[in-house]
Amino acid sequence: MWEIFKFELIYRLKRPATFIYFAILFLMAFCAITTDVIRVGGGAGQVKENAPTTIAFFLIILSVIPGLILASSIMGQPIIRDFKNNTASMMFTSPITKTQYLGGRFLGSFVMLVFIFSGIILGMALGYLMPWIDQEKLLPYNFWHMLKPFLIFVLPNAFIMGAIFFASGTLSRNIMVVYVQGILLFIIYAVTTELMEGWENQALGAILDPFGINTNNHITRYWTVAEQNSQTIGFTGIIVWNRLLWIGVSILSLFLTFWRFDFNLAGNSSKKQRNKTSASKGTQSIKTSVEIPSVHQHSGLATSLSQIMGLSLFYFKWMAKQYTFLAIVIGGIIFTAVGFFFGLGGMYDVDVYPTTYRILNLLGDFNIFFFIIAVLYSGELIWKERDVRINLIYDAMPYPNYVALVGKFLSLVYMFVTLLVILALVGIAAQTIMGYPHYELGVYFRSLFIDDLSNWVLFAFLGFFIHTLVNHKFIGHSLMIVFFVLTLVISQLGFEHQMFLFASGSLGDYSDMNGFGHYFQPFSWFNSYWFGMALVLFTIVLLLTVRGAENAFKMRLKLGKLRINPSLIALGVSSLFLLVSSGSYIYYNTNVINEYQNSDAQLSDQAEYEKTLKKYEKEPLLKIVDTYVDVDIFPETRDFEARGKYVLKNKTEAAIQKVYVQLNPSNEMEDEVSFDVSATISESWDKFDFYIYELENAVAPGDSITMHFTSNFQTKGFVESGSNTEILHNGTFFNSTYFPTFGYQSGNEVGSDDDRKDNDLPEKERMRPRNDPDAIKYNLVGRTSDRTRFEIIISTTPAQIAIAPGYLQKEWEENGRRYFHYKMDVPILNFYSIVSAEYEVLRDKWSNGKQDVILEIYYHKGHEFNLDRMVSSMKKSLDYFTKNFSPYQYRQLRIMEFPRYRSFAQSFSNTVPFSEEIGFMLQIDEDDVDIPFYVTAHEIAHQWWAHQVTEARVQGNAMSSETMSQYAALMVMKQEFPPEIIQKFLKLELDRYLRGRANESKKEQPLDHVESQGYIHYRKGSLIMFALQDYISEDSVNVALRNIIDKWAYREDRYITSDIYLEEFRKVTPDSLQYIISDLFETITLFENRTKEATYRQQGNEYLVEIDISAIKYRADSLGNEIKIPINDWIDIGVYGEDDDGQEKLIYLKKYKINQEEMQFEISVPEKPVKAGIDPINKLIDRNPDDNRKTLTLKKES
Amino acid sequence: MELDIRNLSKTYPNGVRALHNVTLNIPQGMFGLLGPNGAGKSTLMRTIATLQEPDNGSIMLGDIDVLTQKEDVRKILGYLPQEFGVYPRVTAETLLDHLAVLKGITDRKERKDVVHALLHKTNLYDHRKKNLGGFSGGMKQRFGIAQALLANPQLIIVDEPTAGLDPAERNRFLNLLSDIGENTIVILSTHIVDDVKELCTNMAVINEGEVLLTGTPTEALESIKGKIWRREVSKEELDQFDATHNIISKRRSAGKPVIHVLSDHQPDDSFTAVTPDLEDVYFTELFGKKEAVLN
Repeated sequence: MWEIFKFELIYRLKRPATFIYFAILFLMAFCAITTDVIRVGGGAGQVKENAPTTIAFFLIILSVIPGLILASSIMGQPIIRDFKNNTASMMFTSPITKTQYLGGRFLGSFVMLVFIFSGIILGMALGYLMPWIDQEKLLPYNFWHMLKPFLIFVLPNAFIMGAIFFASGTLSRNIMVVYVQGILLFIIYAVTTELMEGWENQALGAILDPFGINTNNHITRYWTVAEQNSQTIGFTGIIVWNRLLWIGVSILSLFLTFWRFDFNLAGNSSKKQRNKTSASKGTQSIKTSVEIPSVHQHSGLATSLSQIMGLSLFYFKWMAKQYTFLAIVIGGIIFTAVGFFFGLGGMYDVDVYPTTYRILNLLGDFNIFFFIIAVLYSGELIWKERDVRINLIYDAMPYPNYVALVGKFLSLVYMFVTLLVILALVGIAAQTIMGYPHYELGVYFRSLFIDDLSNWVLFAFLGFFIHTLVNHKFIGHSLMIVFFVLTLVISQLGFEHQMFLFASGSLGDYSDMNGFGHYFQPFSWFNSYWFGMALVLFTIVLLLTVRGAENAFKMRLKLGKLRINPSLIALGVSSLFLLVSSGSYIYYNTNVINEYQNSDAQLSDQAEYEKTLKKYEKEPLLKIVDTYVDVDIFPETRDFEARGKYVLKNKTEAAIQKVYVQLNPSNEMEDEVSFDVSATISESWDKFDFYIYELENAVAPGDSITMHFTSNFQTKGFVESGSNTEILHNGTFFNSTYFPTFGYQSGNEVGSDDDRKDNDLPEKERMRPRNDPDAIKYNLVGRTSDRTRFEIIISTTPAQIAIAPGYLQKEWEENGRRYFHYKMDVPILNFYSIVSAEYEVLRDKWSNGKQDVILEIYYHKGHEFNLDRMVSSMKKSLDYFTKNFSPYQYRQLRIMEFPRYRSFAQSFSNTVPFSEEIGFMLQIDEDDVDIPFYVTAHEIAHQWWAHQVTEARVQGNAMSSETMSQYAALMVMKQEFPPEIIQKFLKLELDRYLRGRANESKKEQPLDHVESQGYIHYRKGSLIMFALQDYISEDSVNVALRNIIDKWAYREDRYITSDIYLEEFRKVTPDSLQYIISDLFETITLFENRTKEATYRQQGNEYLVEIDISAIKYRADSLGNEIKIPINDWIDIGVYGEDDDGQEKLIYLKKYKINQEEMQFEISVPEKPVKAGIDPINKLIDRNPDDNRKTLTLKKES
Repeated sequence: MELDIRNLSKTYPNGVRALHNVTLNIPQGMFGLLGPNGAGKSTLMRTIATLQEPDNGSIMLGDIDVLTQKEDVRKILGYLPQEFGVYPRVTAETLLDHLAVLKGITDRKERKDVVHALLHKTNLYDHRKKNLGGFSGGMKQRFGIAQALLANPQLIIVDEPTAGLDPAERNRFLNLLSDIGENTIVILSTHIVDDVKELCTNMAVINEGEVLLTGTPTEALESIKGKIWRREVSKEELDQFDATHNIISKRRSAGKPVIHVLSDHQPDDSFTAVTPDLEDVYFTELFGKKEAVLN
């Protein structure tokens, strides 16, 4: 065995490939560390670039992404090589045993694989030492941080991949089987990734992942910035199981290999067959005297066409019969189908209806297989004749060059079409099985057979080109992959324009409301651009394709010259024309009539805006007190024309001479502004659409002037990317930010500190301090207005209904257009929506005896599924809020659906636009959180918490609007749904909060200083407010909130801040619980509660439960550094029994004072207990919520 | 129609000189191209078959310039390369039919007839539904000739068709070749003299890219008539004779070494005259003349 081993090593060491592979990994690691060109995640914000978790993630990814390919070629080869070079028979007749032979080959190759993989860690180890890396982003150098994950993940991965590939290569003697094996491993990984997306099977996914990527992610999912910077992953817990499982599988496959490998026969399985053939020779009917009939030989176009047909069918059948091909296809389809079980989960684990677009989305999982097929089979087809060495026979046949190439190409196209048909059938079957038989065949067709097909056909062209040009199969495959890496790299270098991104045409998102919308036009142009390019490439392919025995490039060029003929010239010229003309048209659209900037240029403009105009930030502004707008929407052309009037009032103590006008900077907008008093532009910045008007006569305190404006939005052609999804053919929804506003807009500033540094700007806080005396005078909507009277007339196309805040005064048709006049009877925040779409309307009413409210839902036809839930939520919310907070300030409440390009709902005065995506199409089961109900309740709550009590835009502001709306919605839900649903909701909120803090890029704030951090003000907010009402009672919380409304609703002199809430909460909190206000709102407090032992015994009719718990309380800083603090808290102890259906039910729950880390409790319950624990409902924030409860065991009497 | 090859030269990028100033005139009928392995036969054949480019020289097939009018040549060409593979999981009939389409036989009926006729002719008819992967070397070679005969070619090039065949297969194969009509140019390259002896009306010997001899076999035999002498030698004597005589071949007859010597006169009494066969011609061209020059 030693000899074989040595031979293998020496053989490998002589091969340049070994060192090339090593160099690839080394350079990838090195470049990823030292440059921005390759990015493998990690190192964002406060997490250091060499944080242990970043390093670990990075090592694992590199061991898989290029690693899988390298391992398959290293480990699959050794035995196949012996067969290919016919050295097998020599080997097998030499006096070595099977074990020696296989063992030596395996060990030799494996050692080489380890050597190659060590390139990753060496490249990394060297990379971090390079002096040009920003030292501020690095921790002190620590090699152990690299070695440890290398030992835990990379080395076992090498072994796992190595053993499995060795087994498949040795047993099949076919390298394609090894590749398929690699693809299957990848599928297993992808399935485990899908498992991770739900929340119930995460641990399972973490254990089953062959590479440990998900295992690593699962373990570190809640790690805070500080932990990511300091902790390494140990070889404990779930990792051990994962590694043992896969190492076990690998060892098993090695055993199988040693056992099954047939050392004697040398695998001449066709030998028997051959003997049979020659044996039967004697009985042949000899008819050699037959005359060969003379035939007609045709040439010309018709012949060529039928030859192309013949060839393409021939190749198609060949592919379809290939086991490897079938394995890829079947694997891919299974993988895609598996996705259907997990992929329909939307928010809070609720399934979405399997609409056609959603199904198509899931079918997208198959794309990676299309890609593999395009890459692999364009090469296989180009090399087909040469691979079986029948090429010279073919090449001497009298068909033109294009016949073979077009035939091969078409066979690939047939294959794509066939697969797409299969996918469509899979989709339709899935829709049928899932009971949603609304098959939108047109959507299937356009998405699969126009968008996807053209994409893969383009890739096939690319594959043909690369393979023909380089004329070396493996290099060709590698270059295809390099090509994609390069595509990513050039976009990193600033070449982000879609014209640089091969096959970039895309139909975009489909929406039931807006169909494929306006995406078809740019899609068509980009497609013709890329098809022009592809045909140019194909022309080159036709010229340079190898026919005959000449492989030298010089000879091919010479032959190519001979091949030039009028039709080839015509093809070349016309495809070049297509390329250039559609390219020019695209350029004209994206860069001439529209503006194009890459992201660096955008950031630098933003920075310049800040540098130039920030000095005006605190200039006093006139405020809008009256708004009138007249808007004509043209959905057909995606335009609008608005004429408006603001009354601007000086609410300050001093006269105001200047008006700082900020127009909407989008390229589609044209604005004009005029005043009813004499004014001149004193300074202007066209680039920023910022103008300073100097008024001839200053506006005295308390006086007003009127400003008129026209704001026209005109869609011009199409843009490079990020086209406007607010003004649409159907489902327009835009807001007042399109109209002129006033003053410097700090929202335009560059946000991320890294980007600020790149643009020479100082770091900045995300929000102004809570006590900033300037900031608290302005509300969250901006400095432009406090509240304004509001009136609007909207016209639109007759088929659509247009809606804005206010009450409908009049509706009429005139000149083929439909008009709506809305007017609000009380001043509203200067933030209003304008919506226009073809709607069905559901109308209802709500009354509590004192107030009557008209309820309306404007929805897209066919989206009726959850309307009842929404109406119910509207009513229950109005019930609860009017009873516990204050009266509803309007007489009407409307929900309007808008297309799924954006997925949120937003609360404007008496008006709630609500995305198609997040409520209308959810399939709510009995044990699901009712998301439409929840979102509706949350948005309605904003009518109080934002529209009545309005916050200042300072730290902690979202605690007022968002957290209180979460609370309000939770309380409505608590009345409506069983506790299990609420518990599920809270558990998901906890998960999202903990994940959110792990991804924090700057600093985690306590709730009362939250800085637009959704994971805090929504997710943690729900948990905190639920705990608060649990501790001090719902009534007390509501008393505090009512007090706040009394004091703060509609105030304009200053706006509310989070400290006011804490003050009011403290007032309603008993002394013994005062500490919780600080724990919940002012600090980041976490618990590690755990039930260590739990037993029970029967005592007469009662059961005595004994539990041992441990409880640790932590305080975390903004980076997640935790310190233990003494515990002295009231915490639930609970016991669960079982109801008649065997479902758990809570039979005991009581708060105990926990003042030691370890405590014991004895509780007697009247029913047979099943489980017990501390904080069993997870009201407190606990990173291991699952160990709070434990199943009880029967205690033996001692 | 004749095939006229003039001054054809070809040097490979690695420096190997495959053809050097080859000039040949190949009339209709069977033409044998004889030469050892690596003599440049295949390069010449591939060049005639439009699959390779010479560095210079010209090839005319009647009025057709082979080097530029490749498609015209291919229409009337039947080519059997020296080494070729087949799709293992395709049947003989399917592949032959498929190749017939590529030959331009687009009429389905005609194609079927010719495919069946050729399968009969090559004695593969009974195996037509069998996958080519299971074919023996001889069967595969016969399949090769079947495809070369598709569409009544006027120029047939068969490159080393008998290499690796057992005697029975070889016979069968040569019989097949000899059936091909006389109005056709058939170029058969081989390093086996018997192939040429049995079939060809014209022949050439080529070595190291150069044409050493052209003509009919009869003419060739005539040229060395009375110049070939035979002697049995012992092992020890072999070296000695090597030094003193123009040995063109050494072989064994019933275990004893036998040498053939080229000489205008009987070297000595121990040598007996032999009636030269084509093999002697071949070896004379390969070895005799060179030695003569040396001597």
